[in-house]
Amino acid sequence: MWGRQTLLCVTLVFLALVTQQSFLARLGLPGATPDLLLVTVIALAFAYGPLTGAVVGFGAGMALDFAPSTAGPIGVVALIFMVMGFVSGAAVDPRDRNPPLLIGIIGLSCGAFVIAFAAITSVLGNERVDWEQAPSLLLTATLYGALLGLAVVPAVSALVAKVTPEAVQ
Amino acid sequence: MFSRRTRFVLAALFITTLTFVILDLRGGQGPFTSFRSAMSGAVGGGEQVGGVIFSPFLGVRDWWGTWGDQRERIAGLTAENDELRLLVERSAADRARAEQLDGLLRVSGVGRYRIVPAEVVAVGPAQEFAWTITIDAGNADGIQRDMSVINGQGLVGRVQSVTKNTATVVLLVDASISVGARVGGSSEIGILSGTGRQDSLEFQMIDPGAGLEPGQSLVTFGSKGGRPYSPGIPIGEVVSVAGTAGQLTRIATIRPFADVSTLGVVGVVIRPPREDPRDSVLPDATRAPTAPTVPSIVLPSPTSLASSSASPTPSPSATVTPSGSPTPSQEVEQAATPEPATGGSN
Repeated sequence: MWGRQTLLCVTLVFLALVTQQSFLARLGLPGATPDLLLVTVIALAFAYGPLTGAVVGFGAGMALDFAPSTAGPIGVVALIFMVMGFVSGAAVDPRDRNPPLLIGIIGLSCGAFVIAFAAITSVLGNERVDWEQAPSLLLTATLYGALLGLAVVPAVSALVAKVTPEAVQ
Repeated sequence: MFSRRTRFVLAALFITTLTFVILDLRGGQGPFTSFRSAMSGAVGGGEQVGGVIFSPFLGVRDWWGTWGDQRERIAGLTAENDELRLLVERSAADRARAEQLDGLLRVSGVGRYRIVPAEVVAVGPAQEFAWTITIDAGNADGIQRDMSVINGQGLVGRVQSVTKNTATVVLLVDASISVGARVGGSSEIGILSGTGRQDSLEFQMIDPGAGLEPGQSLVTFGSKGGRPYSPGIPIGEVVSVAGTAGQLTRIATIRPFADVSTLGVVGVVIRPPREDPRDSVLPDATRAPTAPTVPSIVLPSPTSLASSSASPTPSPSATVTPSGSPTPSQEVEQAATPEPATGGSN
């Protein structure tokens, strides 16, 4: 089980990262970039629980931190994703899934990421942070996250049920 | 709350991320250079492949990028388009008007008529058998009854009635019109009357023995005080002559220079010239000076052509010429009528 679970998580995270960086980011949508990676992390956390959520968040965040075209200090995204993966996994009981709640968590997480990243990197001395853009980024990130969640959460839970049936009791 | 293992893993990850952050913030190359380049290679390779895969779908970007301001842009372009189209149409109309005005100015300048330009604003109904137009100048512009109306080609008609800002003009072709006319280049006079048909006037010569040829031009003879007709205004061209010289009545058909169906800018002669411009306003007169001197009065033989060009004095001709014959200079000027003068009284 562990092998297949790890493989699934790594594959999904990698696909999400590539899609986000080379497609969604280049669409030029108004406001924030749709954060497919974070949505995937949270969807996996919903399926596998808080511990896996935290580990996947850490890995995905590290991948994003190290990926080309990301310029923030390494580790910040990993920290935020890790916390969000853990909280999302802990907040939802895998056997009692309430779709509006899941979508709400995903949307709010995507919004919260904007604030958290801006706050942490400001503290660390990032001069790029423009708080005047924060409200519109927050709003669009939440919206895009919720929309992505509508598609990603069912897809990920279906994959999880197929690849690792024993994880879903 | 959580198991010991969970807490341990969380703490390890937390410490790791903080370590990364702190190490990275120290600046310089840092310990992650090789790791970062390896990672970048892996993710970057995926991104390259992704870029190739996703490139067909990036056309959506254009749609999305212009979605917001498209309606505004369409509205703007539509408005601009309308404006430009209006400008194009207006400039064509303006050019036509300017041409008409140019012709009018030429006529009034050569003939020294004092004119008031006006534009046709209405045309009388054809089923009333009257040829009348309404122009947008009236009393306030100095227009009074019985003034001549001209355009760049020649006589158009005369003012029949005036209001403050408009005037009604009876056109030359109206059946009620009769104008004293003189044959260009000679002093033959006659009475020109409208027939009610466009492009056709009747000209009856006073002297039935005088020569008249198709192609000769008519100008107004002029009325007392220049009203209703100022002297020297071109009227039209002889198209055909009915009857032969010496018949009791000779009637010629005249095609007016002014096309009454396409009138645009016209001028009302508010003051006739002090001197009769004679034939100088005729279209041909302007090209005259360089042309060989061929008086439109009949010449007996080609040899006299040389003599007439040698001396400006008109050579004697068989035509009966009234005493007030054209001055030599005018004789030379109007001699450019392209048709060689033949016929006449024989």
